[in-house]
Amino acid sequence: MGSDFFQWAAEVLDPKKAFLKPEALKGVRVLEVCTLIFGPAVPDWLTDFGAEVIKVELPGAGDTMRYVTPYGFFWKNLSPAFEEQNHNKYHVGLDLRKPEGREIFLDLAKKSDLVVENMRAGTLDSWGVGYRDLKEVNPHIIYLANNGFGQWGPYAQGRPSYDAIAQSVSGLMSVSGFPGRPPLKAGVWIGDFTGACTSSIALLAALYYAKKTGKGQFIEFSQGENLMRWLDWSWLYAHFTGENRPQAGNRDLAICPSDLFKCKDGFIAIAAFSEEEFSGLCQAMGKAGLADDPRFKDPLDRLKDENAKAILGIVADWTKGKTMAEIDELGAQYGFAATRVLNAKDQYESEHWRSRGTVCEFEDPLYDTVVECGPVPKMSETPGRMKWTSRPVGFDNEHVFLRIAGLSRDSLKELEEEGVIGKWGDRVGAKPPEDWDGKKGLFYL
Amino acid sequence: MSVEKTKPWDEWIREQDDPRYAHKKPEALDGVVVLDLSRAHMGGCFGASLLAELGAFVIRIEPPGGDAARKFTPFGMIHKDTGLGYLNEGRNKYHVTLNLEVEEGRKIYRDLARYADVVIETFKPGMADEMGIGYRQLSQVNPGLIYCAIYTYGQFGPEAEKNRAKPDYDIVDQARGGIMAITGEPVEPEIPEECRVPTKEGNWMGWYAGGVWAAYGALVALIWRMESGKGQFIDVAPPEGLLKYCDYHLQWYHQAKELRSRIGPYDSAVFPYTFVKTKDGTNFISGFSDVNWTHLCNIMGKPEVKDMFPTIFDRLNPENQPKIHHVVEEWSRNLTSQELTDTVMKFNLAPDAVGVVATAKVNKPLDTLGEDNWWIRCAFVKLNDPNYGEITIANPAFNRMTETPARVKWLCRPVGADNVIIYKRFLGYGNTKLEELKSKGVI
Repeated sequence: MGSDFFQWAAEVLDPKKAFLKPEALKGVRVLEVCTLIFGPAVPDWLTDFGAEVIKVELPGAGDTMRYVTPYGFFWKNLSPAFEEQNHNKYHVGLDLRKPEGREIFLDLAKKSDLVVENMRAGTLDSWGVGYRDLKEVNPHIIYLANNGFGQWGPYAQGRPSYDAIAQSVSGLMSVSGFPGRPPLKAGVWIGDFTGACTSSIALLAALYYAKKTGKGQFIEFSQGENLMRWLDWSWLYAHFTGENRPQAGNRDLAICPSDLFKCKDGFIAIAAFSEEEFSGLCQAMGKAGLADDPRFKDPLDRLKDENAKAILGIVADWTKGKTMAEIDELGAQYGFAATRVLNAKDQYESEHWRSRGTVCEFEDPLYDTVVECGPVPKMSETPGRMKWTSRPVGFDNEHVFLRIAGLSRDSLKELEEEGVIGKWGDRVGAKPPEDWDGKKGLFYL
Repeated sequence: MSVEKTKPWDEWIREQDDPRYAHKKPEALDGVVVLDLSRAHMGGCFGASLLAELGAFVIRIEPPGGDAARKFTPFGMIHKDTGLGYLNEGRNKYHVTLNLEVEEGRKIYRDLARYADVVIETFKPGMADEMGIGYRQLSQVNPGLIYCAIYTYGQFGPEAEKNRAKPDYDIVDQARGGIMAITGEPVEPEIPEECRVPTKEGNWMGWYAGGVWAAYGALVALIWRMESGKGQFIDVAPPEGLLKYCDYHLQWYHQAKELRSRIGPYDSAVFPYTFVKTKDGTNFISGFSDVNWTHLCNIMGKPEVKDMFPTIFDRLNPENQPKIHHVVEEWSRNLTSQELTDTVMKFNLAPDAVGVVATAKVNKPLDTLGEDNWWIRCAFVKLNDPNYGEITIANPAFNRMTETPARVKWLCRPVGADNVIIYKRFLGYGNTKLEELKSKGVI
């Protein structure tokens, strides 16, 4: 053992074999009443592991996220920003505010295990499809409500939220960026995604509990409060010093050295904390003696502000004369952490990320070849897998309403005429590609 | 078949899920035994913390003398025996010591692992396997074991083997995750050169992303094990966890071969969705869909601006963004952050409101701690810990669950503080045996 570890790991985790293995969440049905990201990402990741998700959108326009896209760019009438958190789902257009729509939803809820929504507090309750209504028809239901400020409390009274609101109220932006510069917003919708991910932990734990005891429950989750939980030592620091955690750019105030350095051809991230790693870095710099310098020998002494500045300065002087590749190699040789900053192109073209199924290229029934970020945890027995990407509004009405809800074709027609159910409006973002033949990609004709 | 609703929703649900009564309720993961073998890695610690908050029995295994993570602390500040980063993630964990460098320690670990449902480790890839304590060895005696390994480059793939000597730190996870390339201030002359570079999130965003995805994998596996009885091996690379949070990043590159640039406070897909100066600070404010943009113009008392930028795409135009920003700031500068928030909320809650504008003051940590809302909601908790005294930490963000709310039961424990209970409870060791192991340097 030992020497063949990588070969063994590559075999048991091989993403190419994913479809030959079981799905952990097979048979778990999820109803999604979500928009944007903080809601939809939760069911999206469950589908990676086999859950069946029915995404409910308003007929016509659908999820607002369909129109959120970089500089108004659309690909085959689809927003790439909508795609990211909408895979492997069945998309239906259903107006829950209409009595017949509500009834269909309640019937579907009887056959479901989980409901995920991200409306403002009390919205679904006021429509008669909230937790109080659903648990009457299905006492085992698990209901996750994600939003900005939770379901009760002073800020929950109708106050809207987005990712950046969470970044604001939590303090995250104020502890990011360089000293003396304005607070720094994350380049991605981090408050949405981290919130979706952490709330999924509660949801999965509730599912485990329900499988054990038969009991469902309601879970509320605030994205702002989540980022507070993710702010590691900020609160203890405030408690002990009475001060705000300072901005520190790329320097890690709790690990030294750990920073981003400029080299000949770009930037390189370097970290080395333990005595062994630090000594390796010093050797790589050709300054082995620094490892015994009383300012730097003990990692705790190295963290003191003036010592930290001194060593970071020494490392910065050294990296100036090196290339990113040279330092990366030295890291592997001397046992310290070193990497350049990867952008989407680097990741997209990386053999490593492709071989792991993280940059995942697959055939979509409607859009043909797509490239997406694959499932994150790589699992040996129940690997995640990507099946299809997003679909136009109401694209799966027939599949869901006929096969799962059990409605008749005639009633479908009536419901459509009454505007209770519906498909896409004639809008970029909501509708199929321009050259769509009326059939391609449909699961039920 | 309408349900009779005698109470308003918020009042009703608060009665069901107020965290003040969490201790009266069961815990979702009660009975699940987790071994937290994180080494100098706050991501592993965070992943195990999430499970511990939900009731798992988490045994934190440190080398004698304590894990290096206890030293991850701002400016070297140590409280009692522990730094602030670790103190925050010791919650609800039993702390034992065990020397895995010696065979006797490894044997004890293998014996403990017979009882484990989940292992979380952050060794360099293949290292545990080489030491005879990896998944392949442990699963022979415990086939139901769920084994989660966290590492920057993962457990397989060309770069995993090549980089296996490198340690996993937050900064490299953020650098490889894609987020850092597109976070930071733009390359503009008025911004100092050293500040207009790829910039990390201030917190341990890379590590924590690894931890939350490890907990995610472990729970998915736990659910499947109920049916199949089978455990499994799970590989989590924190940068991949971050890539999953990178919006349309990969898709856009695939479809348009475009890369996002660093644009500071702006956003390439939604606008206005930005910061504005107020009389006494900064607020974030949004109003990007047509109806919300109209609403924002009305709130500002500038309905004429609406038609200057009538569509989402006019407002997304990079040339228009600074103009819109200027218009909004002309208004916001005359109000304090609180006045701005109050004004917006008054319009949002008006019965005839058609749109919604979201706004909030850009808080510093002390601002957040000073707002009553979070204390009413139990987002924070003050504990009086027998070992560490009075402290303030963030509560589990999922502490509002009607059946199995998460909770903090204790903060952290000194190094080896739970050796007696754990080694007695699982392996039957009495004091004589513990003394012997101690004298041999095993615990």
